Amino acid sequence: MNPWPVVLADLRALRWVAWIAPLLVAIAVSVGVALSAQERGLRQATAQAASDFDLLIGAPGSQTQLVLTTVYLQPEALPLVNGAVLAALADDPRVKAAAPIAFGDVSRGYPIVGTTAAFATRWGRIKPSEGRIFAREGEAVAGADVKLAIGDAITPSHAHAGQRHPFGIESLEEARHRHEGVRYTVVGRLPRSGTPWDRAILVPVESVWETHGLGNGHAAEESPIGPPFDGARVPGVPAIVVKPNTVADAYVLRGQYRQGGTMAFFPAEVLVSVYRTLGDVRDVLLVAAILNDVVVFAAVAILLLALSGLRRRRYAVLRALGASRFYVVLTAWLGAVAILAAGCAAGLVLAQLTSLAVIRLIEARTGLALPAAIEIPDALPIAALMALGSLFALMPALAAFRIPVADALRHG
Amino acid sequence: MRSSDVYESAAAPSRLSIERLGVDRVEAGRVAGAILSDIDFTLEPGATAAVTGPSGAGKTTLLYAIAGLVRPDRGAVRWGGGDVAAWPERRRDRWRRDAVGLVFQDFQLFPELGVVDNILLPTRFDRMRTPAALRERARALAERVGVAAATARAGVLSRGEQQRVAVARALIRRPALLLADEPTASLDPENGARVADALLEMASKARATLLIVSHDPALLARVGTIYRLEAGRLATAEHAS
Repeated sequence: MNPWPVVLADLRALRWVAWIAPLLVAIAVSVGVALSAQERGLRQATAQAASDFDLLIGAPGSQTQLVLTTVYLQPEALPLVNGAVLAALADDPRVKAAAPIAFGDVSRGYPIVGTTAAFATRWGRIKPSEGRIFAREGEAVAGADVKLAIGDAITPSHAHAGQRHPFGIESLEEARHRHEGVRYTVVGRLPRSGTPWDRAILVPVESVWETHGLGNGHAAEESPIGPPFDGARVPGVPAIVVKPNTVADAYVLRGQYRQGGTMAFFPAEVLVSVYRTLGDVRDVLLVAAILNDVVVFAAVAILLLALSGLRRRRYAVLRALGASRFYVVLTAWLGAVAILAAGCAAGLVLAQLTSLAVIRLIEARTGLALPAAIEIPDALPIAALMALGSLFALMPALAAFRIPVADALRHG
Repeated sequence: MRSSDVYESAAAPSRLSIERLGVDRVEAGRVAGAILSDIDFTLEPGATAAVTGPSGAGKTTLLYAIAGLVRPDRGAVRWGGGDVAAWPERRRDRWRRDAVGLVFQDFQLFPELGVVDNILLPTRFDRMRTPAALRERARALAERVGVAAATARAGVLSRGEQQRVAVARALIRRPALLLADEPTASLDPENGARVADALLEMASKARATLLIVSHDPALLARVGTIYRLEAGRLATAEHAS
């Protein structure tokens, strides 16, 4: 048997309802799918961004704020760790490498981050895509998204917490707080990482200290940049990234630097608690979205049930022309399922479009590159909803089954 | 017709015998008299007949009982050695598909479908694919009843054209029994005559038995036998000379 000509005729008879009903389903469905995709994307992107920050040491305060500022470069004035800690870490056999991270300046909206050449290459994991890493004070390496060319010179400005700096533009605010006489020359560019660091300008940490009149952290004025630093001369630093030798060392170091004027933690600890909250919020929103879907599916099924009442005569004619009950039920059911399925398919497309828009928005605001949109697990609830919808669709179908043919032929 | 036709031998011509047929009137779950009583007549294969009578006499019920849409309370509808009235629903559905062509007073086309798809509708109930020969036959039927086969939406046709498409639809499976319920009642005389032409000519060419319920004198004048139904009983039978 071939129910499709009848299904098609029924759908045509619905006119605009045949478009509106799937559209409603699509909108309802896309919310949940997009939500689930975004949440997963946000987890992946934030975790990936934190991957080079094995252990963070900072002055006691908010761990979350330290992670936000260091990993995601959300500007905030942080309390400083005594510079001696940096020297102590350099001598610690459990530490493979340690790098200070200093903030505070901005140029054309891009945060200027002072660190070591070793951390600029993420402990040697990445190589500059253009040029080279800074080798002396006054040199800078640009993140992949920084709109500066090699050879460009910039003058940093003092940034103020809470002040938003538009990227690529030298604002009035910046011009007012410029560190006159300080210049950096861009000597290299880093490859794209999909993290907020793509928008940072990396300079030797010594330059940041000198810019603020704090010396260079070394015994001699003309020492080469980078470790070892002179413990007595290193000014306070907001954060130190530590790469421990082993996992065991990591835990020992964390324990040791949790006291005596410092805090130490794995960024993953902060992320896990953030994710837990994020996950809870996602779960609540997902349940709301799915309930929403169920309501919309039920509404569409009831709409179709009402329509099947109007179609009594049509079903009776099919029976009179020789169609079996099964054929009539099948056409009624397929018509309803076609509407729901079209809605679900359109919903996935809509969710993908929404996700892409949100991804661009998040990237524009934070520099975090979320992985591209929807994956199978996001669409799985749709499969379950489709199964439920197919059950709902049996309502109009069974109404078609029960039609008394002779009666419906005469009275409609 | 061409020998390649898919419905060539779908239903063998057969004698239709109505034997002491009775249908009760049921009101509020209780039998409250009879709609039809003791209906008794026989149509030989290829015969043409009409049932006429005042409204409420039970004509349509008789037609539906023969088509297997109403289950009679007494008597039998004999066709090819079986009793249609005694068959289970699925067998009656199959019989209606294979042996019966139905024409309704108000056409009952699917206005959203094209002429050819409307004519092909009864073939969709048991086959997935439509062979080219069958589609060709649907086109030929449309031309024979004088309707443009290419019409994309049957809803735009005039009433007369719609009823002629309905006749073509009833004939697509080469039924051995053609049943028509007031086929000309909602048409003007001219269109009524064209529909009557189509019905009678095509039934005769297909050697199908034709039974019409009608009040239309022009139509009644063209059939072999006229049965007059009064208050659910067969009053007279007139045979054309």
